[in-house]
Amino acid sequence: MTIFSTDHKVIGKQYIGLSLFAVLIGMALSLVMRYHLVHPDAKVRLFQMLWPDGAPGGQMTPELYLSLMTMHGTIMVFFVLTTAPQSGFGNYFLPLQIGAHDMAFPVLNMLSFWTTALSFLVLMAAFVVEGGAPLSGWTAYPPLSALGKIAGPGQGLGQDLWVLSIALFCVASLMAAINFIATIIELRAPGVGYFDMPLTAWAWFVTALISLFAFAVLLAGGILLLLDRVAGTSFFIPGGLVVSDQIQARSGGSPILFQHLFWFFGHPEVYIAILPGMGVISTVLSVFSGKKVFGYRAMAYALLAIGGLGFLVWGHHMFISGMSPYSSVAFSVLTLAIGVPSAIKTFNWIATLWGGRIRFTAAMLYALGFVSLFITGGVTGLVLGQPGLDLYFHDTYFVVAHFHLIMGVAAIFAIFAALHYWFPLLYGRFLNETLGKIHFYGTFIGVYAVFVPLHFAGIAGNPRRYPDFKEYEFLKSLMPLHVGVTHAAYSLAAIQLLFFFNYFWSQRKGKLADKNPWGAATREWTHD
Amino acid sequence: MTNVARTGQTLLIVASSMLFAAFTSAMVVRRATGTDWIAPSVPVWLWAAALLALSASWLVMRGLYRPAALCGFLLVASQIAYAASLRMGDVAQSFAAVLVTAHAAHALFGACALWWKGERASLFWHFAGALWLYVLWLIGVWA
Amino acid sequence: MQVAILIAALAGATVLLFVQPAWWLPEAISAHAKNYDSHLLLTLWVIGVLFVIAQALLAITVFRFRDRGQQPSAVEGNHKLELIWTTTTAVIFIGLAIAGQGIWAGVHLRSSADALKIEVLAKQFAWSYRYAGPDGAFARTDVKAIDDAGGNPFGVVGGDDIIAPILRVPAGRPVELLLKSRDVIHNFFVRELRIKQDVVPGMTIPLRFTADKPGAYEVPCSELCGLGHHQMRGTLVVMPPEEFDAWLREGAVR
Ligand code: HEM
Ligand SMILES: [Cu+2]
Ligand SMILES: [Cu+2]
Repeated sequence: MTIFSTDHKVIGKQYIGLSLFAVLIGMALSLVMRYHLVHPDAKVRLFQMLWPDGAPGGQMTPELYLSLMTMHGTIMVFFVLTTAPQSGFGNYFLPLQIGAHDMAFPVLNMLSFWTTALSFLVLMAAFVVEGGAPLSGWTAYPPLSALGKIAGPGQGLGQDLWVLSIALFCVASLMAAINFIATIIELRAPGVGYFDMPLTAWAWFVTALISLFAFAVLLAGGILLLLDRVAGTSFFIPGGLVVSDQIQARSGGSPILFQHLFWFFGHPEVYIAILPGMGVISTVLSVFSGKKVFGYRAMAYALLAIGGLGFLVWGHHMFISGMSPYSSVAFSVLTLAIGVPSAIKTFNWIATLWGGRIRFTAAMLYALGFVSLFITGGVTGLVLGQPGLDLYFHDTYFVVAHFHLIMGVAAIFAIFAALHYWFPLLYGRFLNETLGKIHFYGTFIGVYAVFVPLHFAGIAGNPRRYPDFKEYEFLKSLMPLHVGVTHAAYSLAAIQLLFFFNYFWSQRKGKLADKNPWGAATREWTHD
Repeated sequence: MTNVARTGQTLLIVASSMLFAAFTSAMVVRRATGTDWIAPSVPVWLWAAALLALSASWLVMRGLYRPAALCGFLLVASQIAYAASLRMGDVAQSFAAVLVTAHAAHALFGACALWWKGERASLFWHFAGALWLYVLWLIGVWA
Repeated sequence: MQVAILIAALAGATVLLFVQPAWWLPEAISAHAKNYDSHLLLTLWVIGVLFVIAQALLAITVFRFRDRGQQPSAVEGNHKLELIWTTTTAVIFIGLAIAGQGIWAGVHLRSSADALKIEVLAKQFAWSYRYAGPDGAFARTDVKAIDDAGGNPFGVVGGDDIIAPILRVPAGRPVELLLKSRDVIHNFFVRELRIKQDVVPGMTIPLRFTADKPGAYEVPCSELCGLGHHQMRGTLVVMPPEEFDAWLREGAVR
């Protein structure tokens, strides 16, 4: 196996490996954050060793917390959820499912993986440069992200690297999107029409279309932001600012303009993260209930509808931003409209199970868990999609709970389901079923225990992105809740070790799999 | 040209169009919200550079790919010369610099592709030519 | 099978948490806040019912069709059923969106002319407030006149404005805040009023409310503004109107 391989199977595995590595880092950061939130005054030797400037004497500074939060969010969204479900599994299985010999442009495919890897390295470098990693969140709103060092530690070189990393990631994702779409349009085997493709292939198709439109816009935003930082332009920096007692020589820029560019990408991005997972779940539910997917065509159209409508709702992240209050009204109606195809999917998943013969394999358990989490995370979207209600919930822990459940954890469950389901094809062996089931039960209970209580912090008005809760009376009363969440997060993380053990152990020692062990009907199993 | 190559190029064109659409809408919004907009001046020779793009397209249609690529390289050189003359502190000029440089990157890619791949890169080159006319219109007329 | 029970148990636990009284909204101190709470409650009921139906359906289906050697049915779809749940959810979702517009409109789309205007200035990491003095108008400002230590964060030049580090407002009278920032984006949030608004540099954003209940309330900055974000604590004091008028008059003398 060569490193710069152009074989879609190797590249798929490389993407999966990159995301598994990234998720380990992202998870470790989240534990450090949760620890700090409930022990804000603790002095920890390990922190001092890892971040001598950010944790002098082991005491974590607020800017270190915020930079860990920024890196956690960025790693999880880009290098886990955008990488494994689409580029990882898609690369490996899309050609097999539609009967293509490889992706349409194998060299481009190799380049997009290595650009992604480079982008990851550039992001990691932000940890070690002077001033440390940036602290303006994965959304990087200017002027905070545009002003440079003067706006805080990490806002110097660290933020430059962040923007550069995202720009590289955009380029890599555009190359991948072109490859996926061209493969599906041109390389389907004779007799494989669009509506003969499995829903996984449909999901990768729609996701690639979304990426093609969304990442180009983020790239534009990133370029303009970088110029504001290094070339003295005023795209997003208004005139007359006084930062750290210094008058800034800029004029006329619009901070909200960046938010429009960012969320025009950002909302579709959550679908980029979740649609491939939806495809996997549809397949796994159908295979292990012994039934065809209920309403196959409706499911394919729902994917398209979500992909298309997804470009019309970005304003629901900006109800409170100062944009025209009239546009909020329009955005909110469109937002709740997009709930409809999501609800269709949920009902159709349940209808797929109805009347079936359900085999509780580990993959199936994750798929069932996904549906449950998708409901739990989805219903709160009906709260946040209303501008009137967002007047209170915007940027509180209610939002943290909502997006972790529906985007973060649900998509991770889809990754687990996919790994258990496809492992026999990836490595010729099974992942250990017993370990898989134990891991499932622990994880399922764990994510409910971590994220459901956070809604109540949000209902009490707890703002997100706070390094500690010492300053406010009303936050002190929430400490018992946060302590509970942190303990649940420790257990949740501990359970993940089981998965990683299983993953590496089973590659060598797992039970050997014969051809098509699950009795699936799609081409990757039935053809050689 | 194979179907795969044509489809791939079309998709690349879609992605590039999105990039320029994003720059354009940023420019429209920024001009409307700020009060500091001064129309940039576009020198005559830059307009003449449009002729380079057009003649390259004409040469491509005649099958003369390498001469066309040479026209492309000249276009890139004139674009870089213009972009280098702009003041980034001025908002309209900074937008012009972004658009022209982004186009230069496309033109360079397209010209190299013409040089080495000939006919297979023709679709993209025609797009790059049309895009240049659009950029010129945007910074020279609209702004 | 265990998983069916687990799904039901976790969904049940979630519902139980939502009916516990320990962590809930703070008291509502304006008419808007009360409207807000009733619409929120309506929304929570609707999503609660949807949540319970969907999770129960999932759990029951999983339980009922667990592998007992039966023959799976060959159903691949049912257009009537799909049409029914598509239209039902569409009506419920869009209905909620429309029902909720009132509270939004009350804050952002309606204004009252006699509102007391107060300018709010956010900077890393503090709030300042400015009232028009006896002349009834805000004085001119200039960035060069800014002097934080000298009590002039706005850079006011001349005039008789009253500048204060705490936001005081009269109970029962409409107030219109004019939100401005000097550096990065901040966010003005009063939980008890159920209002939240980003404060964006380069813009002046109006925010209207009428607070009814005297008292002191915390204003936590709610948009990431840098390393002091979590310490950017403001205070809103709602005063009986007479006391407020007296305070304003006194401030003008000083
Ligand atoms: C082990 C489970 C996880 C835990 C305990 C966890 C914990 C956290 C914490 C403590 C924060 C910071 C909240 C704040 O200060 O406002 C956060 C933010 C975030 N997390 Fe997670 N997280 C987990 C998994 C994930 C996953 C799987 C994703 C993938 C989408 C994710 C995406 C994010 C994002 C996007 C943010 C926002 C960062 C920002 O505000 O810029 N997290 N998470
Ligand atoms: Cu969104
Ligand atoms: Cu803040």
